[in-house]
Amino acid sequence: MQIKVKLYASLRRQKFDEADWEITPDQKIASIVEQLGLARQDVGTVLVNGLHAGWDETVAEGDVVSFLPRMGGG
Amino acid sequence: MSEKTISNNPESVIYKRCTVDLASGTTTFAQVPCKNLEDVLGGFGRSFQILAERDIAEAYCPENPVILNTGLLTGTSIMTGMRSYFSGYSPLKQSGTGRPGAMWSTGSGNFGNKFKWTGLDEVIFENRSDKPVYALLKEGANGPEVELKPADHLVGLTGHAKIMALYQEYPEAHFAAIGPAGENWQNNYMGAVVMSTDNELKSGEPKSRFAGRGGMGSLLGYKNLLAVVALSSDKLQKITPEIRDVNRDILKSGGSARFQPASQGGGGGTWANIEVLQVFHAVPLNNFRPKGNDDVERLFRDEVEKEFDIATEACHRCGIRCHNNLFYKNEDGSRGKLAAKFDFEPLILFGSNLGVHEPAKVCDLIHRCDLLGMDAISLGTTISYVLDYNERHPDKPLFNGATFGDYEKIAELIEGAGRGTLPGIARGVKRLSEETGETAYAMHVKGLELPAYLPDTNPGYMFAIAGGHMSMGTHMMLAKEGKHSLDEWTQAITTAGLFQVGYDMIGLCKFVGVGIGHNIIVRALKEAAGLEIASADILAAVRRAYLRGLALELRQGFHEEKEYTLPSQVMNDPNPKVTLPKFITNEFLGELRQRVWSIFKPEMEGLLPVQGE
Ligand code: SF4
Repeated sequence: MQIKVKLYASLRRQKFDEADWEITPDQKIASIVEQLGLARQDVGTVLVNGLHAGWDETVAEGDVVSFLPRMGGG
Repeated sequence: MSEKTISNNPESVIYKRCTVDLASGTTTFAQVPCKNLEDVLGGFGRSFQILAERDIAEAYCPENPVILNTGLLTGTSIMTGMRSYFSGYSPLKQSGTGRPGAMWSTGSGNFGNKFKWTGLDEVIFENRSDKPVYALLKEGANGPEVELKPADHLVGLTGHAKIMALYQEYPEAHFAAIGPAGENWQNNYMGAVVMSTDNELKSGEPKSRFAGRGGMGSLLGYKNLLAVVALSSDKLQKITPEIRDVNRDILKSGGSARFQPASQGGGGGTWANIEVLQVFHAVPLNNFRPKGNDDVERLFRDEVEKEFDIATEACHRCGIRCHNNLFYKNEDGSRGKLAAKFDFEPLILFGSNLGVHEPAKVCDLIHRCDLLGMDAISLGTTISYVLDYNERHPDKPLFNGATFGDYEKIAELIEGAGRGTLPGIARGVKRLSEETGETAYAMHVKGLELPAYLPDTNPGYMFAIAGGHMSMGTHMMLAKEGKHSLDEWTQAITTAGLFQVGYDMIGLCKFVGVGIGHNIIVRALKEAAGLEIASADILAAVRRAYLRGLALELRQGFHEEKEYTLPSQVMNDPNPKVTLPKFITNEFLGELRQRVWSIFKPEMEGLLPVQGE
């Protein structure tokens, strides 16, 4: 099934801004990150349709999945 | 823990203190045994115990000291170990009773190392000098020596110019100085301490670091102490295989990676936060009121790169290299002169939050603030209030009538604040908003202006003891994790959040990016300072130090409900443009306060010394 993947900041610079992405129906977010070739420790936040999601969640056809790098300040 | 560990035997650690009476010019040296583990770790953990012994009713009084100290790892070969700390009762942070709050402020650069290498761990500046002076701290044949010297030749110079003038006299030293803002202490409560870096001294360019928060530069100005020179030979600690491993682990930890240069695969420093927060329309714009548009995108790194040459640089031997310095491009494409340092806080607070979106103009505003030696957070946030007020009251504006985006007029306000001609701005947004009577959108908590993270996303600001994000690590929690329940926020504030302050004890930068009880820290203390301290003991000491700070706030009169709150606009007029959950209501804050105090208060008992002892 197809989802839309959006990458931000350093992740976008590593790969791409936005792409349609083919996954299997039961594929977890952690595995999508792997498939994208991103290091899990570089990803700080995952949003599915704008809502925060965890590594073990699955997504549905047509979902927009956004990956944000780790952030911090101080 | 065995009986022999330092946690059970802190008095076996002795530190070297010099007390300088600025009024008489006398100096007194002492070897001081540590009372507890907070003393051993150092930084504010130690200085706040001294401050708590004093009954201080106003910041500008001779009894209010400035305490300069280091952390246990300052001057070691552990990466980032070069912090020094300035502590005192703040002219800016003030309770409703008028009493000042205790503060510390810290910066990097090479000053901390050089200070530690003089053989001193702490200098307490007492009273005030009747003439401008600078303090020369140096290593002598028989131990550290301290002298006060006339500083008439430094009067009126920018912080950077003071540093460069002193560098001519002391080419082996490093420097902490105040700018014109600190010299105008009567009218400016947000003066910063400007600290030299190797890159600054070598290039002559103003690449200083700043201990900005809480007006410690203004307090030095009140004392007529214009600069501190730390003169010592370099005593670089041998990098043992164990220290090398610790440093490698610091660099490899995901925590620090986000601050490393984008060109090396890192996150590019705090700058990257803009793009991430923009996903939620949570980047401060026009006085912390995002409009849901894409204005801030002109400050994304790719956009700025079109106009400027960006160089990532570092403090002495630091591999994290978190400084993003922007240089103008010459016509032939080569690197021109330094435009400004570009980090998240100044970038937002002098950019989008003032309605200024052109990188060159933002650079100029940051540069002015830095040269005048002011805290970028306090100044930027106070000016954004002025612009907001003026937009609401076009018929009776404040000062020169500047509104959002009005770059030239904003530059005038910065100059006036730094030169002491606009005390209405330079005494901070709390006082200004109380004068205008419009406090709802004055972005401060307990008199300290908010950093560039929306209060709509962080009720943890209420329990920060020394600046919103420096002393309570909850400022990104909502954006990172989406958590917004009372249980989650109570837990965040009373556990992980408060440990943010641990870095301001041990002498490392927060950009190391791991929790203060992490194995990397335990190993660093063992290998570089020779002290075995269990993670649980470090955490307990940091927690006590934080809670002592909180207890000190209550003793200085901060009201445990009225002053532990957020600007009321957040609760009464939530911003529909921010796409993160809107959960901060008056009821939520009331319940959160109650839960947090019920956890903290029993632990706070007995942490404060009796005043005067
Ligand atoms: S992390 Fe940044 S501020 Fe800290 S020592 Fe390294 S370069 Fe300096």
